[in-house]
Amino acid sequence: MTDAARYQEAVIEEVNRGRSASAHFRHVGAHSLGPGMVIERYRLANGLDVLVHVDDAAPVVALQTWFRVGSRFEKPGKTGIAHLFEHLMFGETEEHPHGAFDRLLEEAGAETNAATFVDWTYYQQNLPKDALELGLKLEASRIARLVLREPQVKSEKEVVANERRQRVDDDVDGAVSEVLYREAFRSHAYGIPTIGLMADILSFTPADCVEFYRTYYAPNNATLVLVGDVALPQALGWIADSFGQLLPSEIPPEDVHPEPPQTEERRLEVAKPTLTEKIALGYKGPCLGDYDHAALTVLNEILFGGRAGRVHKRLVKTKEIASDVRGWVATFRDPGLYEMGATAREGHTAEELIAELDAELDLVLAGPVAKAELERAKSRLELGTVQSLETVGGKAETIGFYDTVLGDPGALFLKLDAYRRVTRDDVLRVARRFLISSARTLVIVRSSGELPEGEDDGEEDEAAQ
Amino acid sequence: MKLFVERSAKLPVVSIALGFRSGSSQDPPGLEGLARTTARMLRRGCRGMTADEIEDTIDSLGGEFGADAMPSATTLHAEVISRKLGSYLDVVSRLLGEPTFAEDELGRLLREAKAELVDARDSDRTLASRAFRRTLFEGHPYGRRVAGSLTSLDAIKVEHVWDFYRRHYTQANAVVAVSGDITESGAHELAARLVGGLPAGEPIPQDIPDPTPAPGRRLVLVDKPERTQTEMVMGWTGTDARDDDHVAWLVGNTGFSGMFTSRLMQEVRAKRGWSYGASSRVGFDRHRDAFTMWTAPSATDAPPCLELELELLANLRESGLTPDELAFTKSYLKRSHAFEVDTPRKRVHQPFEEALFDLPEGYHARYLARVGDLTLEEVNAALAKRTPCDDLVIAVVATESETGDALRARIPNLTRATVAPFDLE
Repeated sequence: MTDAARYQEAVIEEVNRGRSASAHFRHVGAHSLGPGMVIERYRLANGLDVLVHVDDAAPVVALQTWFRVGSRFEKPGKTGIAHLFEHLMFGETEEHPHGAFDRLLEEAGAETNAATFVDWTYYQQNLPKDALELGLKLEASRIARLVLREPQVKSEKEVVANERRQRVDDDVDGAVSEVLYREAFRSHAYGIPTIGLMADILSFTPADCVEFYRTYYAPNNATLVLVGDVALPQALGWIADSFGQLLPSEIPPEDVHPEPPQTEERRLEVAKPTLTEKIALGYKGPCLGDYDHAALTVLNEILFGGRAGRVHKRLVKTKEIASDVRGWVATFRDPGLYEMGATAREGHTAEELIAELDAELDLVLAGPVAKAELERAKSRLELGTVQSLETVGGKAETIGFYDTVLGDPGALFLKLDAYRRVTRDDVLRVARRFLISSARTLVIVRSSGELPEGEDDGEEDEAAQ
Repeated sequence: MKLFVERSAKLPVVSIALGFRSGSSQDPPGLEGLARTTARMLRRGCRGMTADEIEDTIDSLGGEFGADAMPSATTLHAEVISRKLGSYLDVVSRLLGEPTFAEDELGRLLREAKAELVDARDSDRTLASRAFRRTLFEGHPYGRRVAGSLTSLDAIKVEHVWDFYRRHYTQANAVVAVSGDITESGAHELAARLVGGLPAGEPIPQDIPDPTPAPGRRLVLVDKPERTQTEMVMGWTGTDARDDDHVAWLVGNTGFSGMFTSRLMQEVRAKRGWSYGASSRVGFDRHRDAFTMWTAPSATDAPPCLELELELLANLRESGLTPDELAFTKSYLKRSHAFEVDTPRKRVHQPFEEALFDLPEGYHARYLARVGDLTLEEVNAALAKRTPCDDLVIAVVATESETGDALRARIPNLTRATVAPFDLE
């Protein structure tokens, strides 16, 4: 037995001593988070996984709870409940009245937030280290004993409706993204907007929320992530006391509908109050766990990474037809999209953007990229990887995300190794595998109605009073 | 040149911040956008390297480089994987000390910048912010747009860029902060190489007066079609770090709106669900900037939300914080301070910011003690003095034909109301 294993055995023995069997931990194993950093995995008897990375650089701790539920589990007519729930989780519990969660944590100096996406929902608390016990108690309380009543649900529905207006209805990029995914995914629930459709948001009842809560907010559907200045036996003891009594639930099998192959391009236009035309494109891409995800990410860096990226050089710098270009390979559990987007400059059209973008894509389909381009892309990805680990919150997010989507909390560095291994052949292969024009969806944004001419020095009008 | 260093070998990255103590407030009239243009031109060519070669080299070294201007300062940010620091520094010091400012590159940059101004009309928050600052700081350098205007960008020539560069990019005007995986002596060597190619220069006179906004309640509505939601900002001039009640106002504002449980968020979002976000900020840098209060209610909720916000401000001026609110705020500020200094980059940013903006010496080091010493009377006196509810600017992005009249009807004693097209700038 190694020293590390002996240490973990001693930790578990100390934590379990005097506690009931339901609150017993076992040490599942260790994961490497790059050179010199270790994540330990523990599991409570009720199925709650706890991932701990000790980092004593500052007297702070990031506590995150990742639930394996997101908008992919939703049905037509009930879209947006995972996201609405993210808001409701800051509400009343059986032990604490409405507002107490935020008040107690803010008084302790904590920062809280949460996020929902297609595959997951997570809750974050950034805590001064002496507030960890409080944070854990409050977290367990809202996971087990949240109170869902009409006033709270009604108020949060209004907040979410406003969030939707801000991020989707009145935002060109948000609205276009929603259309792109709806068109690209006609079977898979990735076509459902995570924030939900307005009519669905406004129609949720407390009963809907209770059903969702009882189904998905269970210890065996969650992972707790702790990163920072953590005293290990003590922190696990607090978790055992707060979470050990939570009952696991039967998580229903997901009624997943894989997206059938797309055999012809889907193209549609939307009109928005904007002065410049835009395009959003989605090629059917790989899932995060696909062997080729890393190579496609490298290709994306070659095309869209920074000002030296090929598409920026061609559309923004040389042709001067675009003001902005962007690309992203979705990091979803199931196959997602390879998204691309561009904004035309005034006087230029979406058709020009498409023609020039296609010309650049044809080049990466025709032959290998240059060696220097490949190295440039890898260097950019390496820097981005390291930067994501600057804060305890950033580390916790990385650990929680990769554990939830890939089942490996240290997978960030496996991805980094995979980027380093990518060859020019790989890039050509993934270009030909994924840049299939018959499997792409294209959304074109036109200007709606009569918009005023763009003027610089116009006058403000005195309004009638 | 002033240098600050914070060492940590936890991650193999070196982070560099280089600041010059002047920014867009020094843009000559008619050449708005010059400070930002000069900063952005640094990566568009230097001795022996074209713009493309600079981009390729920085990326290939695993580096990052950004340069931008704000009203009172210009900042350059550079970050690199530490094993590539030497080669990276060669490039960054060369583009900083030996730029070429080629005419064709300037033309290209200005065309890009103009396209960005047009794109910014898609952002309602940007539109609201511009309308607010244009109105509040009318006639003052802070009212001008850092990014310039379509007209002023057209007027910028290569000689203007050279003039700005030669005057402001000097050792006397520079502040450097280095953090991360580097030794103390390595940081000194780095800073010397970084600014070694710059002339000694003269300190830039900091002679910008405090803004003196017009009295009364002024509303500017930015008219944009199809708005289901508004972006709303209201406020007045901000604080100066030398004001006697500077910290008292910052603490009072945190109690009012700086936390999720603060009064503003509770009244607007938690109780009524009117806006996803609700916050306020007391702005300052070297000078007095703006106090701003932001919400984004739906077009229907905007008029009552505006009315509520005016009531909250009037109440804040009249009654200030309660003893419980102040105690809570102090606890929050004291205990959350750990997150102000939890990374090397944040730690070194504090003295960097003090030097860049001429803040009183030890501003950050003494901050918590000053917070702890504050009495309720001091905080509420600051709020009473610094909440001039009858002299404020309100900027709203909305569809005038649908929301304008209802908004104006909710503002008692409105001195002036204007409607601006969303493509005004």
